[in-house]
Amino acid sequence: MAKTILRFALMYVVLMLAQAVLFNRICLFGYAVPLVFVYFIASLPVTLSVNWVLTLGFLSGLTVDIFSDTPGVNALACTLLAGSRGTLIRLYVPREEDFTNPEPSVKSMGPGNYAKYLLTVSIVYCTLFFLIDAFTFFNPLRLVIRIVASTALTFTVMLAINSLTTRNEKRL
Amino acid sequence: MRNLFNFLLRYSSWVVFAFYVVVSFVLLFTRNPYQRHVYLTSAGDVASTVYEGASTVTSYFHLRDINDDLQQRLATLEGELLAAQAQIDEMALQIHADTMTTVEALQPYRFIIARVINNSITRDHNYITINRGRADGLRPEMGVVNQNGVVGVVDVAGERYARVISLLNPDFRLSCRLRADDGVFGSLVWDGKSPYEAVLEELPRHTVWEVGDTVVTSGYSAMFPAGIPVGTVTGTSRDNDDNFFKLRVKLLTEFDHLSTVRVIANNMADSIKAVEGADQ
Repeated sequence: MAKTILRFALMYVVLMLAQAVLFNRICLFGYAVPLVFVYFIASLPVTLSVNWVLTLGFLSGLTVDIFSDTPGVNALACTLLAGSRGTLIRLYVPREEDFTNPEPSVKSMGPGNYAKYLLTVSIVYCTLFFLIDAFTFFNPLRLVIRIVASTALTFTVMLAINSLTTRNEKRL
Repeated sequence: MRNLFNFLLRYSSWVVFAFYVVVSFVLLFTRNPYQRHVYLTSAGDVASTVYEGASTVTSYFHLRDINDDLQQRLATLEGELLAAQAQIDEMALQIHADTMTTVEALQPYRFIIARVINNSITRDHNYITINRGRADGLRPEMGVVNQNGVVGVVDVAGERYARVISLLNPDFRLSCRLRADDGVFGSLVWDGKSPYEAVLEELPRHTVWEVGDTVVTSGYSAMFPAGIPVGTVTGTSRDNDDNFFKLRVKLLTEFDHLSTVRVIANNMADSIKAVEGADQ
């Protein structure tokens, strides 16, 4: 238990720093921004209570907001993502008993389902983020391109992180 | 009472969810940057320490480009210095020494050199974090320039760090004029399309312009002295209304590799403000 908490605390710090220092500065072709820190929210154990998922989601959003001067944008998008996370998981693994391990991963969900789950998380988060960001500043075509491009990039980088952090046999 | 308690317990996740959503909305719609707390911005202690660390590595990346810019700027300034010196010599012959004002009185501006430790160009509202703060004499609403032109304006000043509203932020409007035509002035604002371009709005219809004209600050605010270069005109913007028209401006500052900037401390700003606020 303590080991799990420590592992997630470390993951939180590393992902937040990476997002602030590295990923926030990337903008491929002027459109694609990797919003990779949501990998933290996606990886929280399914057995964790909804209140904790919401709290950790909100906090990670707020942290990224502070670093990137986007007050409330990530916090709101993360809270909404954290709130819908249970539904997203049940899309691919209908029964909780089917999980061999409480954390969503290749091992616990199967490679196909896990990839679909990460893609869905990317789509939901990028859509929420750019919609909220566009409140004050509306340009429909640019918005759609940004959502699609950022979803693709976020998904790719999350897969890369996943294959770097898990051992060989469990990789996608 | 017990029913209420049971109700809250049963729907506790909805209560928590609603609470976080409300907090996010409060953050989202407190748009006035001057009222925001410094710890919720990149000028806060933790965020600025992280950026300072990262910037000690990344600040080396663009040294070659910056060096070229500096050489260019140096050459221009040397030319201007020689011209000014010639003018001073000429004037010194015409005017007696006792009628000349001191150099200090002619220069109400002072520069504070700062390093950019965080910068964004990809968002809709872009900000820059610099490693100078209140302790170095920075105050909100001070102008920021680099060797090429205008960069932005300080909006949150922490003790050792400050956040600057970038020119690439639609919240920031800059009063500008065309260098070729002293009479007309408009306001420069970013339209969010490209980090290399902005729009000069509210120009009177009779403005005479050419592609390549230099756009400079008007000096109508205490933030920037008049005549600081901002960009060059690339063409007219399509959505013109009847009374005013707009020009597209290519910005001279290259926001994708900012490193060292100068904050303009205007020694007269307080007196100008006092005069402007006198009748309110």
